[in-house]
Amino acid sequence: MVTDNQLLGFNSNRQLVACLVAIVFSTTALTSASAFEAVLTNERSGSVIHIDENGSTTHLTPICERPRGMVRGPLDTQVIIACSDDHKLVVYNRATRTIDSEILAVPGAMNVALHVATNRLLVTNEGNASASVFDLLSGQLIAELPTGLEPDGIVITDDGSYIFVASENAGLVHVFDGASYEEKDVIRTNLRPRRIALLKDELWVSSEMGSRVEIFDILTRKKRGEVIFAPKGFRPEQMTPVDILFNESANEAYVALGSANHVAIVDITKREITKYILVGKRAWGLGLSPDKQTLIVLNGLSDDFTLIDLETKRPKLTKRAGLIPHSIEVFE
Amino acid sequence: MRLWMILLIVATLSTNPAKAASLRLAIVTASNAEVTNRGKSFAGIQTRVERPVKRAVELALFESKTTFKEFGITPELQLIDIDKKRPLNDQLKEIHSDALVILDLPKSVFIEAATFLDKDGHTTVNVRHPDIDLRDTLCLPSLYHTIPSERMYFDALGQFLIYRGWRKVLVVHGPTDEDKSRTQILVRSLEKFGADISDLREFTLSHHPDDRDKNKPEFLTGGTSYDVVAVIDSSRDFGRYIQYSTRRARPVVGDVGLTPVGWHRTLERYGAPQLNERYQLFDKKNILPATDAMSDEEFAAWSAIKLITNSLAVVDSISGTLDPKKILTHPDAQVDLYKGTRGSIRQWNNQLRQPILLATGEAVIAVAPMPKFLHPKHYVDTLGLDEPESRCKLR
Repeated sequence: MVTDNQLLGFNSNRQLVACLVAIVFSTTALTSASAFEAVLTNERSGSVIHIDENGSTTHLTPICERPRGMVRGPLDTQVIIACSDDHKLVVYNRATRTIDSEILAVPGAMNVALHVATNRLLVTNEGNASASVFDLLSGQLIAELPTGLEPDGIVITDDGSYIFVASENAGLVHVFDGASYEEKDVIRTNLRPRRIALLKDELWVSSEMGSRVEIFDILTRKKRGEVIFAPKGFRPEQMTPVDILFNESANEAYVALGSANHVAIVDITKREITKYILVGKRAWGLGLSPDKQTLIVLNGLSDDFTLIDLETKRPKLTKRAGLIPHSIEVFE
Repeated sequence: MRLWMILLIVATLSTNPAKAASLRLAIVTASNAEVTNRGKSFAGIQTRVERPVKRAVELALFESKTTFKEFGITPELQLIDIDKKRPLNDQLKEIHSDALVILDLPKSVFIEAATFLDKDGHTTVNVRHPDIDLRDTLCLPSLYHTIPSERMYFDALGQFLIYRGWRKVLVVHGPTDEDKSRTQILVRSLEKFGADISDLREFTLSHHPDDRDKNKPEFLTGGTSYDVVAVIDSSRDFGRYIQYSTRRARPVVGDVGLTPVGWHRTLERYGAPQLNERYQLFDKKNILPATDAMSDEEFAAWSAIKLITNSLAVVDSISGTLDPKKILTHPDAQVDLYKGTRGSIRQWNNQLRQPILLATGEAVIAVAPMPKFLHPKHYVDTLGLDEPESRCKLR
């Protein structure tokens, strides 16, 4: 097993070393949830950890300085990680637990998106007020897209026609043509837009300081609606939503409410909040198990993650992560 | 000699020229009247950073470039440096009639200038004085305060002490009128949150042996029991010698030690490191070291401009000149302060509501409001003059 000290990064020398993985004696599974493996980036300890459906950390790999955004790679064994303070992107192989390849000189890499059909990797450059598009196979820079200051969330539509980038400082989402990379439009959002999630013809944008999720039409870019958060005992201005995750089969969206220490469950069609679930401090990263039975919430200020049973809508357990867990990808 | 100039910051041309509009801003300073001793103690020792707010205003404009482009706005910044030898009003008349005026003046001329500009139809911003009288007594409808009030600072400190369980407070203050009136505000804040004042003691700068009960920290802090020492020393002459010299081994807070501030260089969360880095680097001709950050006055000036540029959408249509009053009086005006909670204007006294940081020289120890200090209406309104206690009732 990975020790607490290893999670904190005390024993690691920040180099890739072959780590021995002890056999995990999971005698009794906590629920009927089927097995999964999730990979988490730990922003401050510079590592990725592998966790299983019981919340056990099965493996730790020191990876780079300040790993933040992460996306699934072209292979089922790969994730692509933005290493902000190393100014690079790494393709991490969760099977071999080694780095398959790297793209260097990516200033302030913050968040990433992958267009699988064309193998284009999109990155926001936090310090640079821009987003970059790379060819994943050759590592070559294809385009540089000017955005507002502090770009964070980035997405590309499945058909590759539009790219959306949220600029936290500017309060704007820039819209680019996915082929020509020309700026097509600018969407005005509420304060500090963070993450963008695509749902059919809708664009959901979390406004961290505006305490809401705004919903826009992808084609017209007109605002269709918004969801404002206010759990009992909190004031609206304490809600600082970050990650948004859809579970379409259940007609549910999950929104991590940051400093409010809750996750909200939103009815997608009604755009209504159906439940708030208490988790750890500054909940921001979200992951969903392949069987859609478990929601995994990363708590950035309490350095842990919470597994939520989506059948009962109750937290099952909270376990230690590394320092400042940031992003998660979940695999079968 | 006339010391004014007009600086035009030309933003990238709008994509939609039909909507082109100007945002006029003016900074009023009196730099030649106060160059020598701002923030300085005896023998020229600099005890706190007090800089002109121009750099912070320029940073806010730099940050808003994309937004200005989107809204078709060109900012124009005018700098007025008041010359003592010329009549004040003549110089204030040089301010463009539509400009939002950032007043960075010493208190002696501040009230006169703010009152004149109020009558002249201008909207002004106090970025420098936390004084209660400017909010409660002067109470001008056209004057906004983006620097926290003394009550906001001390309420933050009071909440922190109660949260820590340090209820018994020994208050040590200086001999000046300013020290005494600030001490009264501190005591009101401490009592509001349930602290007990062990004693109120005045220090002296005299080294005379007869004054030793008032000039030696060991004696000044002896003979009573307390959890913490709160120091009020507006000119930073004596208070900085109290830490590590108290009779009992107790922490020191207030104007020294743990201090309530509006902004700090070591804030780690809420995007603050990016803002601090930008402040150091955005002006390529004048890059500042990584240890520098905005002072509270600079942060107040930055906040005022950002409140405008973060809230452009509240105005239905923008053409000609953007009237800053339209935004500042709008109840939905808000600003991303990089302090974890958005800022907005208190309608009753035009004060920018905001969290207060409790910091030492090395770290931000806490961000107030502290947990469990709840307000029925607004999360940060446990800090400062709340609507029922404010004598100023503007809207």
